[in-house]
Amino acid sequence: MAMTARQRAKVSLYVQAGIFVVAVAAVIIAVDWKTVGTSVFNFAKIGPMFPDIFLVGLKNTLIYTALGFVVGLSGGLLLALMKLSSFPLYRWLATGYIEFFRGVPALLVFIAFGYGVPLAFGIQWDVNIIVMVSLGMVAAAYIAETLRAGLQAVPKGQMEAARSLGMPHWRAMVSIVIPQAFKIVLPPLTNEIILLTKDSSLIYVLGLTASQYELTKFGRDGISSLGAGLTPLLVAGAFYLVITIPLSLLARKFESRSARTKR
Amino acid sequence: MNDVVNSTVRAAGVNIKDLRKSYGNNEVLKGISLTVEPGQVVCLIGPSGSGKSTLLRCVNLLEQPNAGTINVGKFEATDPDVDLNRMRQSVGMVFQHFNLFPHLSVLDNCTISQMKVLKRSKSEAGDVARRNLERVGLGHLADRFPDQLSGGQQQRVAIARALSMDPQLMLFDEPTSALDPETVGDVLAVMRKLAQEGMTMLVVTHEMGFAREVADRVVFMDAGVVVEEGPAENVISAPTQPRTKEFLRRVLDPTHIGVEEA
Repeated sequence: MAMTARQRAKVSLYVQAGIFVVAVAAVIIAVDWKTVGTSVFNFAKIGPMFPDIFLVGLKNTLIYTALGFVVGLSGGLLLALMKLSSFPLYRWLATGYIEFFRGVPALLVFIAFGYGVPLAFGIQWDVNIIVMVSLGMVAAAYIAETLRAGLQAVPKGQMEAARSLGMPHWRAMVSIVIPQAFKIVLPPLTNEIILLTKDSSLIYVLGLTASQYELTKFGRDGISSLGAGLTPLLVAGAFYLVITIPLSLLARKFESRSARTKR
Repeated sequence: MNDVVNSTVRAAGVNIKDLRKSYGNNEVLKGISLTVEPGQVVCLIGPSGSGKSTLLRCVNLLEQPNAGTINVGKFEATDPDVDLNRMRQSVGMVFQHFNLFPHLSVLDNCTISQMKVLKRSKSEAGDVARRNLERVGLGHLADRFPDQLSGGQQQRVAIARALSMDPQLMLFDEPTSALDPETVGDVLAVMRKLAQEGMTMLVVTHEMGFAREVADRVVFMDAGVVVEEGPAENVISAPTQPRTKEFLRRVLDPTHIGVEEA
């Protein structure tokens, strides 16, 4: 007997759920639980990670991310304005910068500023400076494109109204266009911060002292010192979620708020 | 006209000579000459695409004309060295789609350029803004945000925002075209009052009733030229040019009932 469309949809859903259950079961059966118990989920031995994972790892990850974001946001705004400039040289410079730093792995940028700059100029930067510059310059390239889209999404009439009231172009930008653009890009900007949080782990390529460890390096260090296999890395990963999940929730809140004010 | 700014209307005139404007090969203004005396109200009417909005936007240089001269009060707008920001402070502009600043309250919409451009103190700008919001009948909505207002209320706020800069000339670009029919009257009433107070006004409009009642002169434009101009009762009630007659017949009797057969 032929099924109705509704019955077919129902059967299809059951089949999909079945496939999912079978896949999960297959993984559970395939895993070597004995080894996993001692070297991935071995929480009995990770006591020594606390409280330093808060006081050093989490703290440094937050500091590195914040430093990168400050540079990334201001650099990104500058690049976005350059990209929208009527002066061709500014547009070319911004486009070249964005293409380069978006196209090159962030890891290479860290190596360039961590090892290349001391070789080329004979100066050794503080770790905070290296993170700020490396992470910030990569972030600026991504944030610039986000902000450019936001600036262009502000209706042209806003600039015209501001200019009609006698505001110079820069004043109209600062007081009228940029505040509205930031409101528009708040959700994607929050995503940029999440990406930055994770990219801050790339600092591991530099030689860090123990007090400069961020979460990933802290976890790797635990692998060699605690004898609990990969468990410390698992714990470090969980701490990233402590940062990124609230940010995601925040982004969603912004998104629903801007959807509400839009008519 | 001088640099002294005070709250009474100081009307400025407009003088446009042989104005031309093209977009690529498309010439939308083909040598327009037009004079608005201080304190006069001139309505620009005509079919869409006739260039009337472009002409209005040329007056405060939102559009850059290709040839011709425009004088606004003591400023020559078409002089490349004109202080454009100073000139625009004395020219209020009201847009079809209001263009209120959505991130600012009604009061802040009216104070921001007073404070940032005229360098008035917050309290002085607030006083001026409140006075002008009262003038358009919206003093009680000062703390609202634009998206909480009806279209007619938003447009009246836009008028109050322009008036807060103490302009000597007001430009209106189809101010009632985007409004719900029942809110059109409130906006027109504010404009009528403004005209009676002696403000110089250049108004692009399809409201023939308003033009007939308020305008000192009506200018009919078509295809980038001025076809006919004169006192409202002449141009609207007794047009002489065939193109004007045709346009008015369509506007005043949009259903064409009793016209097509004639």
